[in-house]
Amino acid sequence: MNKRIIAIARKEFLHIIHDIRSLVIIFVMPVIMLVLFGYALNLEIKNIDLAVFDYSKTPLSRKLINQFDANKYFTVSYQNGSPKSIDSLFLSKRARAAIIIDQNFAKKFEHSQQTPIQLVIDASDPNAASFIKIYCNGVINDFNETHNANLHLPFEVKQRIWYNPDMRSAYFFVPGLIALILIMISALLTSITITREKEMGTMEQILVSPVRPNEIIIGKVLPYILLAFLDGLMILLLGVLIFDVPFQGSYLLLIFLSLIFLVTALSFGLMISTLVSTQQVAMMLALSATLLPTVMLSGFIFPLNSMPVFLQYLSYLVPAKYYITIIRGVMLKGNTLWQLIMPALFLLILSAVMLRNALHRFNLNLEK
Amino acid sequence: METDQIAVHTEALTRRFGNFTAVKNASISVSAGEIFGFLGANGAGKTTMIRMLCGLLKPTSGSATVAGFDVYRQSEQIKRNIGYMSQKFSLYDDLTLSENIEFYGGIYNMSVEMIEQRKNNLLRELGIESEAEKLTRELPLGYKQRLALGCALLHDPPILFLDEPTSGVDPRARRSFWNLIYQTSRKGKTIFVTTHFMDEAEYCHRLSIMRDGEIIALGPPSGLKHKHGKSSMQDVFISIVNGERPV
Amino acid sequence: MQQILYLIRKEFKQIFRTREMVAIIFGMPLIQLVILGFTITNEVKNVHLIIGDRDNSRISREIVRAFEHTDRFNIIKYETDIARITENIQDWKAQMAIIIPHNFGRDIERYKIPEIQLLIDGLDGNTAGVALGYAQNIIQQTAKAIQIPEPILAGLAGQTLVELEDRMWYNLNLDNAQYMIPGIVVVLLTIISMMLSAMSLVKEKEIGTLEQLMVSPLKRHQLLFGKIIPFLILTFIELTIVMTFARIIFSININGSLILLGFLSFLYLFTTLGLGVFISAITGTQQEAMFISWFFLVFMLLMSGFFIPIENMPALLQHITYLNPMRYILIIIRDIIQKGTVLSFLLKEVVPMTIYGVLIFILAVINFHKRAA
Repeated sequence: MNKRIIAIARKEFLHIIHDIRSLVIIFVMPVIMLVLFGYALNLEIKNIDLAVFDYSKTPLSRKLINQFDANKYFTVSYQNGSPKSIDSLFLSKRARAAIIIDQNFAKKFEHSQQTPIQLVIDASDPNAASFIKIYCNGVINDFNETHNANLHLPFEVKQRIWYNPDMRSAYFFVPGLIALILIMISALLTSITITREKEMGTMEQILVSPVRPNEIIIGKVLPYILLAFLDGLMILLLGVLIFDVPFQGSYLLLIFLSLIFLVTALSFGLMISTLVSTQQVAMMLALSATLLPTVMLSGFIFPLNSMPVFLQYLSYLVPAKYYITIIRGVMLKGNTLWQLIMPALFLLILSAVMLRNALHRFNLNLEK
Repeated sequence: METDQIAVHTEALTRRFGNFTAVKNASISVSAGEIFGFLGANGAGKTTMIRMLCGLLKPTSGSATVAGFDVYRQSEQIKRNIGYMSQKFSLYDDLTLSENIEFYGGIYNMSVEMIEQRKNNLLRELGIESEAEKLTRELPLGYKQRLALGCALLHDPPILFLDEPTSGVDPRARRSFWNLIYQTSRKGKTIFVTTHFMDEAEYCHRLSIMRDGEIIALGPPSGLKHKHGKSSMQDVFISIVNGERPV
Repeated sequence: MQQILYLIRKEFKQIFRTREMVAIIFGMPLIQLVILGFTITNEVKNVHLIIGDRDNSRISREIVRAFEHTDRFNIIKYETDIARITENIQDWKAQMAIIIPHNFGRDIERYKIPEIQLLIDGLDGNTAGVALGYAQNIIQQTAKAIQIPEPILAGLAGQTLVELEDRMWYNLNLDNAQYMIPGIVVVLLTIISMMLSAMSLVKEKEIGTLEQLMVSPLKRHQLLFGKIIPFLILTFIELTIVMTFARIIFSININGSLILLGFLSFLYLFTTLGLGVFISAITGTQQEAMFISWFFLVFMLLMSGFFIPIENMPALLQHITYLNPMRYILIIIRDIIQKGTVLSFLLKEVVPMTIYGVLIFILAVINFHKRAA
C-alpha cells in the first residue's frame, strides 16, 4: 500500500491509542448494552399489585380472590376502606389495579347467568394496562371453568415458535447491536476525526504535502475500519459464547455484506464532516443523522410494521434497516444471498450513491 | 508599588510531577519595574515557573511571594494583582474585539464606566477602533497579540506575566510588541516574560537561563555576555548550555 | 455576582453566533420528537400474517374474518401449503401463520377437539409474544361469539359466569402517546443538556481561554455557575418549546400542575447540566468529553425505566437505578401529566433528585479545583 496512506493511518492510530478513555468506552459500552439487553430486556409485566375490596366476604368471594393470589403475576393486598381510596393507592403506587366485589356477589352468582365484578386499572402505562386486563380475564376464565363443566373451547390452539423457541432477547439484539457499533464507529468517529483536523487547523498542514485528498480519506478511515471490525467481532463472539446466539449462515457472506455497510456508514461520516466546522456540531449531527435512525428506524428494537406509514417509507433510506435484516438473516436463519438479494441490492445502491456524494463534497470542501 | 520594592521573590522553589522534576530550587528576586526574562529551551521549566507564580500550579516545595502575597495561601490576592498572557493569546475567536475587552473587564470586577474608558483607550492605541465590532478571528495575528496584552493590562495590575507572548508573530511585529513592553515597564509595572528568542533576551533588564529545571545563569544581559566572553546572548546561551565555564 | 453575569452574557453570545449550533439546539429535538414519538411504541400492529384455511367451513371462515378485520394483523397471503408458508417466513415476508386443519368444522360438531396451529417467527421475542397473545385472544373471542351447534349450547344453560367490568383510569383510550411522549421529551432534553455542558468547559480548556479565566480572581464556583446558568435557561426554554409541540402534535393532556412540572424539570436540568460540567472538568479534549457523556447517557437511558420497566430488571440492577436521576424525573413527569399527582406523593422522587443535583454540583467544583492546581 501507498506509503503516504500508511503514514496517515499510523498517525490516526496513534491518536486513537492515546485516547485510552475513548477506546475503553468504545469497547466497554457495547458489552454493557449487550448484557443489559440480553438479560434485562423483558417487557412482560410481572408483580402486579392488586388491591382487593371484598364486600361480599363469602367463601365464594374468598375463593375467587385466592385464585388471583395463586397467580404468579399478581400480588394481592386486602383493602378495608372504601373504593374512594383507589385514587390514592394508584398515586402512591401501592397498587396498579383494584378489584371490587360487591356484597351481593354470592347471591347473584347462584341466581343469574352473569355476575359482574369491577376491575379498575391504572392505565397510565397503556401497554401494561392491556396486559393486566388480559391476565385478569385469564384468572376469571379459569375460575369460570372450574365452576362450569363444558366451558372449554371446542378446539385447541397450539403455538409453534420458530428460530428462537425460548424467545430469548439476545438473539434479536446481538445482530442489531453489531450494526449499531459499526455505524457508531464508522460514522460518528470518522466525522469527528476529520472535523477535528479542520478545527485545529492541521488539515492545511497535510494538504500542503504531496498527499492527495483520497489518500487522506483512506488513511484516516483505515484504523476505524479495523476498530469497528474488532469491536463487532467481539460482540459477535460474546453473543455466541455467552448467550448462545446461533450462527447458521455463511461467514463470508456476512463479511462481504458488512463491508458494504461499513462503506455506507463511512460515507455518512465523511459527508457530515464536510458540512460542519466544529467537533461539537459534528457530533450532534452524527448522532441525530446516524445513531438515531439506526436505533429507531431500522427494526433494531421497535418493529417497523407497527409504525405510521410515512415513517416506514422513511426507513427505506436508512442503510441500517437493510443491514439488520441481512445480519439477522445470515446469523439466525442461515439465509443465502439469493434470499437476501433485495436488502443487499438496496444497500449496495445506497452505498454507491452516498460514497460518490461524499467524495464529491469532500473534494469541493478542500478547495475552499 | 515603589521602584525599590520586590515584586516577585522565590526561594528554592520546586515543582515535581511524579518522578519528573520540572523546576528545581529556583531562587530569584525581581524588583518592581523590572523586565525580567526567562530563557531556555522548550521543556526547560519556564512555563511551569510562570504557572506557579500565577497561582495556576501549587509548588511542591520552597516559597514564593508575588506582589507581597504568598503563593500557597494568598493566591486569590495574587490574581487580583497580576495580568497574564499566554502563547495562545486566549481571546475568544467568536466574540468581537469589543466583547472580548468588555468580558475581561467584567471578570476583573471593573465598573462599566471604567471598562468603557479603558476599552476606548486600548482600541485607539492599537489604531483599531474601526474594527471594534469585528470578530476576533478576523484580526491579523499581530493585532491579536497586542489586543491580548491590552486585555491583560485592563485592570491595571502592577505585575505582568507573559508566557512566550511573541510566538508565531513576524519580527517587525515582535519589535513593536517589545516597544509596548518597554512603555509598560516605564509606567512602573513589573514584567516577567519567558521566551526562547535570543534577541528578545537582549531586551530584558535581567534574565535567567534555565536548563532541565534549574537556573544556571542569572543577571543582566550585558553582565552575562561579559562573564562568558561572548558578544551575543545566543552565544552566551549556547556556551552555558554546553557547560562551558565563564572566563 | 456581577462577574457571573459577564460569563453568562459571553456564553449566550457564543451560542447564538454559531448558526449551526442554534439549528441543532432548537431544530434537532423537534425532528427527533416527531420520529421518536411515532416510532417508540410497545404496541404491536400490522403483523404480517399468512392464513392457511384448509377447512373452509362456516366456523373457519368466521375466524379468518376476525383476523381480516383487525389492524393488529396484516394478511399478506392465503396459503395452505406448509412448504411455501415456511419459505415465506424464512424469507422475512411473513412473521406468523395460522393453519386451520382440514375438517375443522366437522370435528368440532363431533366433539373431536381439532387443533389450530399458530406458527410464529420467534426472533423478535417481544413482538412474537404479544402477537401470539392477540391471536389467541381473537380466536377465543370469535369462538365464543359464533353459533356453536345446539348440543353444546344446551350444556351451557344453567351456567353461571363471572364477568369483568373494567375501567381504565387516567388514560381511557389507552393512548400510548400519552405515556411515551413525556418520557421522550425528557430523554431528548437530557441528551442535549449533557452534551452541551460536557463539551463547553473542555473546549475552553482546549483553546486556552480557560487558563486565562483561572488566572483571574474568578472563583471556581463562579465559573461553573457561569457555565451552568446559560445552559439552564436555554434548555428550560427548549423544554417548554418541545413540550408545547408535543402537546399539539400528539394531543397530550397535562392533568397536573404546570408550575410543579416546570419547577421539577428545572431541578432535573440543573442535575444533568451539573453532570455534563463535571465530565467537562475531568476530561482534556472535546472528543473525550463527548465519549464519556455518551457513555453516561446510554447507561442512564437503559437504567431509567424508559425502555425497560424497572420492575422487570434483575434485583441488582434495580438497586442501581436509584442512582439515576432520570429514573426519578420519568416517574415525576409521567405522574404529573397523566395522573395530576401533587408534590406530596412525589417526595420519594423529588428528594433524591434534589440531593443528586446538589451533590453533583459540589463534585464538579471540587474536581475542577483539584485539576486546576
